[in-house]
Amino acid sequence: MKTRGLLEGLRFTDTFFPSGGYAFSSGLEAAVQGGAVKDSDQLARYVEDLLRGGMSRREALAVKLANRAGAAGILDPAIDVDRELDATKLGRESRLASRQMGRQVMKVATDQLRGKTVLTEYRDAVEAGKAPGHLAVSFGLTLGACEWNGEETAAAFLYQTAVGFVSAAMRLSPIGQREGQRVLGEWLPLIDRISREVGTETPMSSWSPIQDIYAMRHGRLEWRLFRS
Amino acid sequence: MTISPVRVSPKIKSSRDILTEPVGRVGKLRLEYAKRDSRTIIARSHCTTPWHLLPPIYLDDTGAAYTLLVNPSGGLVGGDRLSIDMKLGADAHVLISAPSANRVYRSQGAVSIQDIKITIGAGAVLEWLPEHTIPFAGSRFRQTIHAALGQGATCILWDAVASGRIARGERWAFASLENEIRITTAAGQSLVERYALDPATDLGSVGLAAQWDYVASLYVVNDAVAPEVWSRLEERIGLLLDERAERLLGGVSQPAAPGVAVKILARTAPDLTEAMDVLWAAVRAELWNLPPVAWRKY
Repeated sequence: MKTRGLLEGLRFTDTFFPSGGYAFSSGLEAAVQGGAVKDSDQLARYVEDLLRGGMSRREALAVKLANRAGAAGILDPAIDVDRELDATKLGRESRLASRQMGRQVMKVATDQLRGKTVLTEYRDAVEAGKAPGHLAVSFGLTLGACEWNGEETAAAFLYQTAVGFVSAAMRLSPIGQREGQRVLGEWLPLIDRISREVGTETPMSSWSPIQDIYAMRHGRLEWRLFRS
Repeated sequence: MTISPVRVSPKIKSSRDILTEPVGRVGKLRLEYAKRDSRTIIARSHCTTPWHLLPPIYLDDTGAAYTLLVNPSGGLVGGDRLSIDMKLGADAHVLISAPSANRVYRSQGAVSIQDIKITIGAGAVLEWLPEHTIPFAGSRFRQTIHAALGQGATCILWDAVASGRIARGERWAFASLENEIRITTAAGQSLVERYALDPATDLGSVGLAAQWDYVASLYVVNDAVAPEVWSRLEERIGLLLDERAERLLGGVSQPAAPGVAVKILARTAPDLTEAMDVLWAAVRAELWNLPPVAWRKY
């Protein structure tokens, strides 16, 4: 990867990027209130289980497909995967959160990465209601256009997701920064494995019933710090 | 927004799962329902072994044709390829169940396949509530359920799987389990549930859900129901799930297609069955102000 492309892509993975992700916990808040996540060990298992079963063959796969579309400058496959992702996201809050963050990525990407036609075409499709605009697809397209490969892009996406969980957990439970770093470090081998092993030839699938249910239950919490 | 499917049935790629020779039975069940006066009847049917077709029963005064999916062999062995092709004509009303759980027996290599294709005509109603699937240790099962809805059609679809033969201590011991549910409205809005479990592999493991013994989904879709009805139903189901929080873990939400999606984890079959009954009753009450139906499974 060329340094310029690395730097362009890093902006979208940085916590400084204004995706609005800090407002979402992806159901973790409901899991904490429901007693499923009480300490850093339980957080580690809960998120690892989600990355492995729920996100590897769905979001990571979508990121890789979108990355390929972004690198090739061909939009249609990305729109197909975006629609399929929308159909598989059965929980409303999680679906809308992913769409909102995806739109934020596209706003900045089309503003800053001039000359990448595939990004402006995708933004136009999202604005016209022809594509849902999910984060995994926006992110994959953008980093593909920055010349990151599929494996790197999937790893960056999962890492960003993992950081989001640690950040949310630190606000929801007595988990300190060092513990957060330890947990994040424990997930790295899995993120590495998923990024390498997930193939794009298999259909999108997902198995994380516990996390899916907590994400669905979030809207019924009496008090909430997060929007999902 | 029009949604077009990207891919259809998953194909098992692992070398351990190679389909060798064409073994097992190819059983087909075709059913066409039509509304005649105040009742729904089976206008056409065709079935081959192991399917067995019984005439419909009328359990209440709605005229809904209650049909049991009867497989006298009790389940699927490796290499079996069972299919159901069901069509509901306009305004037909069909209620589907099964007399017993769907067993999937151990297989040395060949996958047991069940493909279900459902077309629900304009204004028609399908209430699909079969018994759960029991994947035995070493079984390999692949199921697809695809339902295409006409305008104003309703699909109520319950799908549940057990961890195995729990009384024998078999839990999550199958070799592979793939399930794909796709419900699509006339305008092309879809909801999709698709999972591929292959417990021997890292990415296909059952994970934390292995603490539970039953996993179920309930989907209700109709493109002509007012949004506030879905919101009321979501709230009602949310309360029912809260009341059962000691026994179940459950959530309800609104999917990308107009309707509600419910996910449930349970530890016992009675808890699962009771949940299905109360949720189904809530759906019937909210959508049509109809009382629950008393099953007959013999």
